[in-house]
Amino acid sequence: MARPRADKAVVPDAPGRASSTKKATTMANTSVIRLEQVGKVFEQKKQRFQALKQIDLTVESSEFVVIAGPSGSGKTTLLNLIGLLDQPSSGKLFFNGRDLSQCSSTELAQLRRDQIGFVFQAYNLMPVLTALENTEMVMEFRGMAADKRRAAARKTLTALGLGELMDRYPDQLSGGQQQRVAVARAVAGEPMLVIADEPTANLDSRTAESLMDLMSQLNREHGITFIFSSHDPRVISRAKRVISLCDGSIVAPVSLAVEFSHAV
Amino acid sequence: MKLERKLAMRNLLRNRQRSLLTSIMIVATVSLMILFQGLSDGGHRAMVDIGIKMGLGHVLVYQQGYNDDPSLEHLLVDATATGQQLQQSVPELTHMVRRLHLNGLIQAGANGVPITLSGVDPGLEVQVSRIADRKSMMAGQTLAELPRERSGHGLPGIVIGEQLARNLEVGLGDRVTVSVKPKGSSDLSREAFLVTGIFKTGMQELDAFWAELDIADAQRLARLGQEVSVLALYLDDVEKVGPVAARLASQLPADKYEVLRWDQVAPELHSAVMLDAAGMYLLMVIVFVVVAAAILNTILISVMKRTREFGVMLALGASPALVVRVVFWEALFLALFCIALGGALGYAGHHHFATEGLNFREVFGTTLEAGGVLLPDRFFSFIYPGKLAFCLLFVLLLTLLVTIYPAIRASRLAPVEATRHG
Repeated sequence: MARPRADKAVVPDAPGRASSTKKATTMANTSVIRLEQVGKVFEQKKQRFQALKQIDLTVESSEFVVIAGPSGSGKTTLLNLIGLLDQPSSGKLFFNGRDLSQCSSTELAQLRRDQIGFVFQAYNLMPVLTALENTEMVMEFRGMAADKRRAAARKTLTALGLGELMDRYPDQLSGGQQQRVAVARAVAGEPMLVIADEPTANLDSRTAESLMDLMSQLNREHGITFIFSSHDPRVISRAKRVISLCDGSIVAPVSLAVEFSHAV
Repeated sequence: MKLERKLAMRNLLRNRQRSLLTSIMIVATVSLMILFQGLSDGGHRAMVDIGIKMGLGHVLVYQQGYNDDPSLEHLLVDATATGQQLQQSVPELTHMVRRLHLNGLIQAGANGVPITLSGVDPGLEVQVSRIADRKSMMAGQTLAELPRERSGHGLPGIVIGEQLARNLEVGLGDRVTVSVKPKGSSDLSREAFLVTGIFKTGMQELDAFWAELDIADAQRLARLGQEVSVLALYLDDVEKVGPVAARLASQLPADKYEVLRWDQVAPELHSAVMLDAAGMYLLMVIVFVVVAAAILNTILISVMKRTREFGVMLALGASPALVVRVVFWEALFLALFCIALGGALGYAGHHHFATEGLNFREVFGTTLEAGGVLLPDRFFSFIYPGKLAFCLLFVLLLTLLVTIYPAIRASRLAPVEATRHG
């Protein structure tokens, strides 16, 4: 699948961002994700639960989007669909203009590997791999040459302030450092889209703030599309666009904010 | 190191306690398997070795029809010429002896016992037989030790079993009368012999119903010329018995000669060896099941405990094949380590018993008998390299086989559920 790619590994603070700027420009107004009347139903023990209802959503390239909503509103389900980890029960899902309804699980896995970076709430780093090896992992899945992926991983970790910690194992890192490694793993391979499911949920407010700074910097300077979920108003306020979910449906941001402020 | 091998190796090292416990179990079973296999095969070889030295031979050449009717009507008449022919055509041959077996009655005073008389070449027989060799002699001399000139009594010597001597109530130097039915006559042929030696093999059949005498005396007693019952061939390796017997059977005229292997002539001994080997194979199966269960348990627990990790790998785009490879490498590393260590320990044990031997009398307080054969007090471990390689390879293949299920299970995890796994 042809897709625009940056020429270099992501280096947020590196000088001369010509290629990244060009990428951001060329990708403008290109829909990365489009959902048409997407619904998701879970069935368990003859019980039917409608997690998402007729979702229409388009996310353009280089957007910095938060999916907000209270617990149980369907944020994770929607992120799983957008991240191609799950398939809708109804409706259509397009990734980079491609209808995914006919894609096999292998094709979806390849799309995830090549085009999407993931940041999980619980970091989910491989405990037996160092920060550097974790960062390299997805690129190794792609079959990238060892020297190239290692250079890209080093560059990314250094850029994210982990240059001194790249040989440490996850259990030798703090929560904030682990999440930064997770972000490095997500962006080192220059994906089209980064999905982050409540990335700050396990972090203290200062570390969460720092992580949000990092993600918005990557978005701003490299044009990486970020879609993340949160129910933290301070995190939500950092997004350029808020998609508010309530009971499996997208609702107006204002009404959600009101509802949310009551909940908080 | 490639990612899958790195993950596999480090996961084994991460769970050191579990890996160590599993390794100890597999190493112990593999090393014991080699040790038992060596002792078992060594024991079988000892059984066969002793069996063939108790009046048998590796390969036996008879006149056609002798085995169906072991009478004087089916004797080898040209044994000398046939023997010379065999000497030239069987390079594996180490010894060849002639024997004349006669059924007869031995008497001393009022006591009489029906026995088998074995006429042998004393000088040759002593090299291949344990029936009446020096080690078996309780009293007196072996036939080979007897002077060529007869004693003052002028009687030929005979060596009899210890039980037979008791039944006849005779001792060294006593006179016994032996009667046989000679060829082509209804009258019995009788001759007096002097008991010059008493042997004990531990086998009832030999000790109570067997006597050995010079083949010339036996031929004279049965009124025969140079006829013999059998030509017994002893080879340099028991493993060559089959091919040599087959070759001889095709070389010698089938209408005149019958070529049999030791296991055909002594099926009870062969059955005893086979039965014991079957017991060993059963033990092997148990060993294999233990190894399989241990590895399956380790890998399955390892996979289940890492559900989230595999889920994350799959979510990030790892192919199911890569996940399968990670699990397989883990099992392979574990198996190779255990096979190497278990193999080395087992071989060291085998080497000890192959050089020092295992003294059964010391260990069990008694001598063992199997298939009518009294085993030696000490026997030596023996390993067939092919058999050992097969067993170790089988453990390896078994490991990979039992890993299929956990590997497939890991590769088919749904990323969404797996990443939520605690």
